[in-house]
Amino acid sequence: MNRFKRAVLWIGLALIILLIFMSVYGAFIGAGRAKSFFNSLPLSIYWITLILLLIVGILVFRRLISIPGLLFIHAGCVLILAGAVWGSQAGHKMQKKIFGIDKIPVGQMAIFEGESENRVALENDDEVRELPFYLKLKDFRIEYYKPEYLYIQNRGGKSWRIPVEINTEFSLGDNIGTVRIVRKFENFKIKIEGDNRVPYDDPQPGSNPALEVEIQSPDGQIATNYVFERFPGHIHAEDRFLLSYKRVISDYISELQIIRNDEVVAEKNIEVNHPFHFGGYHFYQHSYDDQAGQYTILMVVSDTGVTIVYAGYLMLCVGVFWHFWLRHIFKAKKADGD
Amino acid sequence: MIYIAIAAYLLAFVTSMLAFIIRLFATNMLFRRIGRILYLFGWVLYLFGRILYLFGFAFAVFAYGYRWYDVRHVPLQNLFEVFLCLGMICYPVSWFCRRVLHVGGRCSDMLIGAIVLFPAGFIFNAQPQRLPPALQSWLFVPHVAVYALSYIFMAKAALQAVRQLAGQASNPDEELLPPEEATYRMICVGFPLLTLGLILGSWWGKLAWGDYWGWDPKELWSLASWLVYVGYFHFRYMFGTKRSRINSAWAIIGMLVIVITLLWVNLSQLFPGLHSYAT
Repeated sequence: MNRFKRAVLWIGLALIILLIFMSVYGAFIGAGRAKSFFNSLPLSIYWITLILLLIVGILVFRRLISIPGLLFIHAGCVLILAGAVWGSQAGHKMQKKIFGIDKIPVGQMAIFEGESENRVALENDDEVRELPFYLKLKDFRIEYYKPEYLYIQNRGGKSWRIPVEINTEFSLGDNIGTVRIVRKFENFKIKIEGDNRVPYDDPQPGSNPALEVEIQSPDGQIATNYVFERFPGHIHAEDRFLLSYKRVISDYISELQIIRNDEVVAEKNIEVNHPFHFGGYHFYQHSYDDQAGQYTILMVVSDTGVTIVYAGYLMLCVGVFWHFWLRHIFKAKKADGD
Repeated sequence: MIYIAIAAYLLAFVTSMLAFIIRLFATNMLFRRIGRILYLFGWVLYLFGRILYLFGFAFAVFAYGYRWYDVRHVPLQNLFEVFLCLGMICYPVSWFCRRVLHVGGRCSDMLIGAIVLFPAGFIFNAQPQRLPPALQSWLFVPHVAVYALSYIFMAKAALQAVRQLAGQASNPDEELLPPEEATYRMICVGFPLLTLGLILGSWWGKLAWGDYWGWDPKELWSLASWLVYVGYFHFRYMFGTKRSRINSAWAIIGMLVIVITLLWVNLSQLFPGLHSYAT
C-alpha cells in the first residue's frame, strides 16, 4: 500500500474516532444542543471533509470499486451525508441562494377544527411563512384503549382494577361491598337547580372526563363519588377509598383536507407514524389542544434531501448484507456445488 | 419461569465448567483406568450441562410466550421485555454460531443467558404496558429485534476478544476458529444487523417524529457503537492480525458502548430523550 493510500486510511480512521467522541459528547449535552453542535460551522467542515474523503477513498482504492459490497457501503455513506447536508437548514439557504428554491425547512402549524390554515411558524426563529396551499382540519380526535379502568384502593392498601362498564356491579369482597359505575362524562360540569347541584355532560367545547361511581357497603349504605381523570389520587378525609380514573391514549387523529384555489385536492387522516406527504412537505401529528381538543398542531417538514438519504440507506444496507453475509453464502453454495 | 431459566442457565454453566476441568484433569492423569472413569464422568456432566441449557432455553421461550399472550403485542417494549428476549435468543444464536460459523463459547453463552435474564427477573419493572401511539408501527418489532440479535453476536465477539487478550491463540477444538478469527466472524455477522437496526430506527424516526435523525442521546450512543465497529474493520484492514490485541480491544470497547446504549441511556437521568419511555 502506497503512502497516499495509507494516509487516506489513517485520516479516515481519525475521522471515525473523532465522530465517536463527538457522538458521546453530543449524548451528554442533550438533543437540542447536540443538534446545534452538529450543525455548527466547524462540524459542517467536518461533514464535508468526511464526504470528500469517502469519495477520494472510492477513487483511490481499487478494492472499493472491484468489490460491489464495499462500493455500496461507501457510496451509501456518501449519499446519506450528502442528503443530510442538502436537507439541512444550511442546505435550504444554499438552495435559495443558488437555485432560488425557497422552501420552509421545518416548522409548526396550529389548525382549529373547521378552519383552514397555511401559516407555518418556523422552528428556529419567530418568523411565520405561508404554504402555497391551505390545510383544513375537519376533525381532531383522541382515541383510547378499551376497556378503560377505574382503580380503587382502600385504606388498608388493597387495590382493584374495574373495567368501565356502565351499571355493571362488581364485588370488592364480602366485607367491603360492591362498586357500580353509573355514568361517564366527557366534559363534566355542575349546574345549580334549586338547592341542588346537578352534574351534567356539557356538549360545549371542553374536556373534563369523569365517572360517577356508587360504592355500596355491606350494611347497604350507598356513597356516590365523582372520579376525575385530571385529578388522580384526590381523596377526602372521610372517604374509605382512593379512586382513580385512567385512560391510555392509543392514537391522535387529525382529519385533513388540502385546499388549493378553493378546491379540495387531497384528503388524509394524519396519525402518529402515518404522516402526509404533499407539495414537497411532510406533515406530522405533533401536538394538540390538551384542554378542549379544539385544535391540532402539525409539524411541517420539507422533503428536500430525504430521497437521497433513503437511497443511501438502501445502498448501505444492501452493501453490508451482500459483503458480510450473502457473498459468503453464495460462495459456500458454489463450492458445495463444485 | 424466568427464575427457573436463570437457575438452569447458571447450573448449566457451572456443570459445563466442571465437566471441562474434570476432562482436562482426566486426560493428564497418570492412572489410566481412573482417568478413563473420570473422563466418562466429565462427559456425563457435560451432557447434563447441555440438557440444562436446553431446559433453561425452553423456560425462557415459555416465559416470553406467556408475556406475549399477556400484553397482546410482541413483547419488546421496555427493558424487561428486551432482556427477556435476549435471554431467549442466546441458545439458538449459540447453536448457530457453533454449527454454522464454527465459533465456540457455549459455556460463556450459558453465562450470557443468565446475565441478561438476571435484570429481567430481579431489577426491571415487569408491569404490562399498552403501546403508546409512537410504538404502534410495523417498524417497532424489526427495529428492536435486529438490535437484540446483533447485541448477542457482539457480546459473543467481545467474549472471544477477551479470550484472545487472555492469551488463548488457538481453540482446543480443532473444528472451531481461534479467538481472534472468531471475534472477526462474529462482528461480520453482527454488524449488518447493527446497521439494519440503526437504519430501521432512523426510518421509523422519520415516520413518527418527522426527522430521520434527532440527535437524541440514544441515537448518538447507537451511532457511536456502530462507528466503533466501523473503526474495527478499518483498523483490521490496515494491520490485519499483526495488532490482534488492539483488534480485540476495539471489539470489547464496542460491547461496552452497546451496554451503555442499551442500559445507561435508558436508566440514567443524564440522558433524557425520545427513547426514555423504553425503561
